[in-house]
Amino acid sequence: MGNKQTTFTDEQLEAFQDCTFFTRKEILRLHGRYRELAPHLVPLDYTNNPDIKVPLALIVTMPELKENPFRDRIVETFSEDGHGNLSFNDFVDMFSALCETSPRELKTIYAFKIYDFNRDSFICKDDMKRTLNKLTKGELTPEEVTLVCDKSIEEADLDGDSKLSFSDFENMVSKAPDFLSNFHVRI
Amino acid sequence: MASEPQSPGLREVYDYTEGNGYPGDQQSLRLRRVSSRVSNQNHPQFDCSSTSTPEEEDEEGDSGPPRDIRATALPMAVKRAVRQVQQMQVPVVSRRESWKRKNTKTLRKLKESGRGVLSFFSLWSKTLQKIGGNFGGGVQSFFLFLRFLVVLNFVSFLLIAGFVLIPSIVFRSVEASVVNSTGPEECMDYEPNPQGLVLFYNYFLDLLSGTGFMEYSYLFYGYYNNTMVEDSKFSYNIPLAYLFTAVFYFIFCLICIIARMGTAARVVVATGGSTVGEYSMIVFTSWDYGCLGDGATKLKQKNIHYRLQVDLEEESIKKRAAALSMAQKVVLYFLRVFMCLVSFGLIIAAFYGIFAATEFSQLKSEQKGILGLFFEYLPSIAITAGNFVVPLLCDQIALVERYAPSTTVIVALLRSVFLRLVSLGVLLFTLWRQITCDGATNSEECKLCQYNHKVYPCWETRVGQEMYKLTLFDLLINIAVLVLVEFPRRMVVDNWSNKLAQWVGRQEFVVAANVLALVYGQTVVWTGALFCPLLPLINTIKFILLFYFKKITLFYNCRPALKTFRSSTSTFFFLVVLLFGWGLATVVMIYSLAQIRPSMGCGPFRFFSSMWSIVPMSFYNLSHTTQEFLFFIGSQSFSIPLFALSCVVMCYFIALASVYGKSVALLRRQLKLEGRDKQFLVKQIESLSQRHQILRHTAGAHN
Repeated sequence: MGNKQTTFTDEQLEAFQDCTFFTRKEILRLHGRYRELAPHLVPLDYTNNPDIKVPLALIVTMPELKENPFRDRIVETFSEDGHGNLSFNDFVDMFSALCETSPRELKTIYAFKIYDFNRDSFICKDDMKRTLNKLTKGELTPEEVTLVCDKSIEEADLDGDSKLSFSDFENMVSKAPDFLSNFHVRI
Repeated sequence: MASEPQSPGLREVYDYTEGNGYPGDQQSLRLRRVSSRVSNQNHPQFDCSSTSTPEEEDEEGDSGPPRDIRATALPMAVKRAVRQVQQMQVPVVSRRESWKRKNTKTLRKLKESGRGVLSFFSLWSKTLQKIGGNFGGGVQSFFLFLRFLVVLNFVSFLLIAGFVLIPSIVFRSVEASVVNSTGPEECMDYEPNPQGLVLFYNYFLDLLSGTGFMEYSYLFYGYYNNTMVEDSKFSYNIPLAYLFTAVFYFIFCLICIIARMGTAARVVVATGGSTVGEYSMIVFTSWDYGCLGDGATKLKQKNIHYRLQVDLEEESIKKRAAALSMAQKVVLYFLRVFMCLVSFGLIIAAFYGIFAATEFSQLKSEQKGILGLFFEYLPSIAITAGNFVVPLLCDQIALVERYAPSTTVIVALLRSVFLRLVSLGVLLFTLWRQITCDGATNSEECKLCQYNHKVYPCWETRVGQEMYKLTLFDLLINIAVLVLVEFPRRMVVDNWSNKLAQWVGRQEFVVAANVLALVYGQTVVWTGALFCPLLPLINTIKFILLFYFKKITLFYNCRPALKTFRSSTSTFFFLVVLLFGWGLATVVMIYSLAQIRPSMGCGPFRFFSSMWSIVPMSFYNLSHTTQEFLFFIGSQSFSIPLFALSCVVMCYFIALASVYGKSVALLRRQLKLEGRDKQFLVKQIESLSQRHQILRHTAGAHN
């Protein structure tokens, strides 16, 4: 509260603190990380809310996301234009939703969006196949993939339309004990 | 923004239009109660259709608006705009409300800064994060368990130091009077100090076995005096303090373990632990997003692949098992029973080995030198050897039994737990046999003092020494295995590209075996704490060293296990096993307190018939009213109503739990019905719109 920093106005930092699960220090640190990705693109001074977006290709080079098989989908989900170009707002939003103190409901909503590849608000069999392939890097045979997808949909689909709506997904995830601890990026 | 009463399971949506245009959001914001977690499914654009109101804003106002903005799934720009709107609405709220909100906000900021300060004090948090990122939740839970034990032991040591150690040191330096009494001269004959010339290397041997210069020190029970100081304004009774500290130490450990189990149990109960939903859960929730490093992620992928294969394999095994003919089933069951008996036989053989080793060691306790040291450590060696060999053999047996993979793991763990804890019990039983002459206090050796005073002039110190040796030996073996087995193995595997070396492969960090070793060590400490008050301190140091050694071996020598341990249920399992160890130690403590006569030559209880008898003695020194009060609490007129009340409370909680279970099932059924309703309505809409189109076509064709 006494540091002289010129990156954000106090009012902006208050807004960030209220809208995310981060403290002042963490938000400033995030800005540092954001700037690291594209130092020539991102200005040091954010007091006048510049409209700068860092492209997808640079964001996925971050060590926290580099090895994640769903990194493209994560960045796309949190980007406003849907193509993965993140403004600083989106950047902070992404890490706030994935942080430790973020509640289960919020994480479930975003997990559903990430796994919904074709963005039709349903996880259909095709979405599932793509998820599974990304997960196992093609080490399962196509028959095994089909079998696992069929079994998963059988287990989780409650309303019988052979695809997972959000309530099916939420119900299934609420029974998974590791979801909260796994769906967590440490930054 | 009034909120209406809501029946569970229904969603009520209000329309609430805002005048300002938010960047990127032209739709109206829909307010809805926080309790209905599901967002509107009819909107393809998921983002911009929901925001939740503070539920009790009109009633209590303790969950202020900022908290709810954070938990909504809106893009950041929209959230900031919503926040601006809510801030602009603040003057409309009463002064009391705004004061309350400011309070909650400052409280939240204080809490967060407090959390920041506390995290500075929490041990090893960065290390644990690194371990979790590279090796997964199962290994991390082992290190979390180790950290918990370190803190528990350290706090216990502070307890013991504060109430027993420091007063003893003070009274000894002040040379407070020691209560004397008459008794058979032979029983009081206790000479722990080494006589004559002591060779230099004897000091080292004494350090390792707790004899010699270490025996008559604050380390063991025998050094403490039965000082009972009574001044005009200050009285302190060392024996009573010793007893109560030991009892309180056990209760304190129990409370800590149960408190920690509470959090772990909640997760287990909430998820039901059922195997339904296995595949979908693996696909959607098994990837650890916090996973760092290239090697770790490849391993994680292999792990997931392995788990899916295991599930598919379990399915096929189940199918095969169901397809077995009657004769084959009979053969299989017979084989299983036989193998169970074989494993029991192996375990009993290990117990007999420990029994024989302990007897032999006590027989040869007069031996000096290196051979003497070897005989002293014979029980520890026998226990460690048994704990190493028998699980290996049981693993081979499990191959014959052909259980499903998950059952195999559980059965192996149960066998190991049984082996470890009961082998310690066997050691203690052997000691008891020798101290009390097989329980027959009228036999020749034990008739005079009711314990074997010739071999054990101070038997509590001897038991304390055994526990001290076990702890030390455990640590030494860990270091030895690290240096002599794990590092060379890694060097061989890395530098020698032989097929054999590759098949052996790098060391795997097996979580379950390591946890059982920790539980065993902690049980030894609990058993020995009554006889060796500084044992918790020694154990704290031992566990801290163990943390660093295990960390080093993890990062340099190990590869993560392919068969992982579920981190959430595993914490609960570790604590349950720890509780078993605690139970064993409690039985030992209660027996030594109540049944065996304390040594007459040493210790704070030397002139009592049992350790517990100091309590009734001091009880009658209390004031009359206190005595009356305590009698009342122990009487029937208090305990029977208390018992009835606890029965009522328990029935209430059981009823509550069953009601929750029923409502969960009901809600799940309602979810299904709502899904079908939605489908039906969608079909209706489609058919209606088709009819509408046909009508329009025909009308158009007419015109």
